[in-house]
Amino acid sequence: MTGHTHGNWAVRVPHYFALTVIGVLALFPMYFMAVTGLKNGIQLEQNPFSLAIAHPFGTFYRQAWDYIDGDMLRTVLITAASVVGITVLGMLSAYAFARMEFLGSTVLFYVVFGLLLIPSFLTLIPLFLEVRGMGLIDNPAALILPYIAGGQAFAIFVFRSSIQGIPEEFFEAARIDGATHLRMLLRIAAPLSRPIMIAVGLLNVTAIWGDYVFPSLVLPVSRQTAAMAVGNFQPPPSVPDINVVNLQFAAYTIVSVPIILLFIFFIRYFIAGLATGAVKM
Amino acid sequence: MSRTLKAWAFLAPTFIFVGTFCYWPAIRALEGAFTSWDGVSAPKWIGFKNFYQLFHDSVFLGSFLHLLWWSLIGIPVGMGASLLVALLIYRLDSKRAQYWFRVAFALTLCLPGIVGILTWENFYEIGGVIDTLLSDVGLGRFDTAWLANPHTALGALIFMGFPWVGAFAMLVFYAGLQSIPGEIIDAASVDGISSLRRVWHVELPLIKGQLKVILILSIIGITQNLLPPLLLTGGGPANTTWVPVLYMYENAFQYAQMGYALSIAFILFVVSLVLALVTMRYLRSDNETRRRVA
Repeated sequence: MTGHTHGNWAVRVPHYFALTVIGVLALFPMYFMAVTGLKNGIQLEQNPFSLAIAHPFGTFYRQAWDYIDGDMLRTVLITAASVVGITVLGMLSAYAFARMEFLGSTVLFYVVFGLLLIPSFLTLIPLFLEVRGMGLIDNPAALILPYIAGGQAFAIFVFRSSIQGIPEEFFEAARIDGATHLRMLLRIAAPLSRPIMIAVGLLNVTAIWGDYVFPSLVLPVSRQTAAMAVGNFQPPPSVPDINVVNLQFAAYTIVSVPIILLFIFFIRYFIAGLATGAVKM
Repeated sequence: MSRTLKAWAFLAPTFIFVGTFCYWPAIRALEGAFTSWDGVSAPKWIGFKNFYQLFHDSVFLGSFLHLLWWSLIGIPVGMGASLLVALLIYRLDSKRAQYWFRVAFALTLCLPGIVGILTWENFYEIGGVIDTLLSDVGLGRFDTAWLANPHTALGALIFMGFPWVGAFAMLVFYAGLQSIPGEIIDAASVDGISSLRRVWHVELPLIKGQLKVILILSIIGITQNLLPPLLLTGGGPANTTWVPVLYMYENAFQYAQMGYALSIAFILFVVSLVLALVTMRYLRSDNETRRRVA
């Protein structure tokens, strides 16, 4: 690619400098969160930027973990079930739109496209009343089912253009071997769309993991998600007031760690998936 | 015929889900806007009464003004910052450096939304990070309770998230820049145009498809940005931070005014829909533009 400025130091140095400064600022909240959980209230007051460590090491992290561990597990299950559902259903539909000819394909595609124009605030209230009417209040299904539905439009769009980008020859060869559509989806379309599936999956994980409003309407505090736990933080009475903030930030960090691990593990696919340029109009 | 049935079988699960959990509640929402409804007993049809009341509700009118400010500042600044970073990374001479900077910015996506908001709440506290930085550069006299001061609360909410680089938008822009054919860039360099002119006349027109998607997502995103004011200000102080979606939420779940809340949602929906459609209509997509250039 010829987009770069080669060798010219007067241009190069400012580029790196600007990117580094912006990057440090953008990542500062994460740094602040992690170190604030390590220090105590007095150390925080002295210098909010410092990397001080309260004794014994990691004490607030241990306390925060005891506060939040059950909610974390519950949130992992809810998120995993939702993302698997979004991906499986999304791939099935995207494959149909990309590779099959059928009656009503245009109309049905517009029905999916129309979903992008339905904002979540519009459906929030009736959706709450609907899952309450279904008797799902206090049940994780009250979250999983709407999350699967809500993730469809974006997933189908992006998966569809990814499948359309697969060269015809791949499918031609399979068809000669007599492969069914389901088989071609599993053996060709899905493996070749893996980066974009991972990218969409990660975006859904972060959105679902951090969702607060709808969970707090349908789940009780005794069965809350991790995001609800940090939003409605109730410090244990044994923690002195001055250290409550540190305990809170330790909890924030713990809640973020699973996402950070997922990103570190999948970042290559994530970057590659979004680099395919499937997201445009 | 059997081909159609087969395809419908692939689509059926999606359509059952979106019918039940997206379209049905959306229809209920639109019709609920014309009712008086507490969410428990049966809704009562009252025509346009809610809308009439809304246009005389100063909190609602104010909330729209706040959203207007938030959008006019937040969307350009957010898209501009993401684009700037995408361009800077794209211009780096080493593929490795490009990759690692993209990774670094992608990491900002790891912070769950609610955690980011609560972290910023802490930054704004008296004696917090913002105050400390201001004192350090000799501007300590401006220290204030940013979120509790009616003069600063809305501004503080808008400023939140500095430096506003949306990692998703940035990666999408970067992908667009990457896909510009090398010959076009070469032709531009041969003509010897300056870097800024190259951005304006060559690169921006060629990533219009990406700019369009992100603009539409930003419009939809900012109208439903409920969490910051809900968690940090609750519409206060002195009603200075109400936005329509928060007013909707409070009407529904604090005052049990479902009908009134849904009429707010209705107006907000129509406004954001019109804006999104106008954007789609009037921004030429990059495929069309590229055809003209090539």
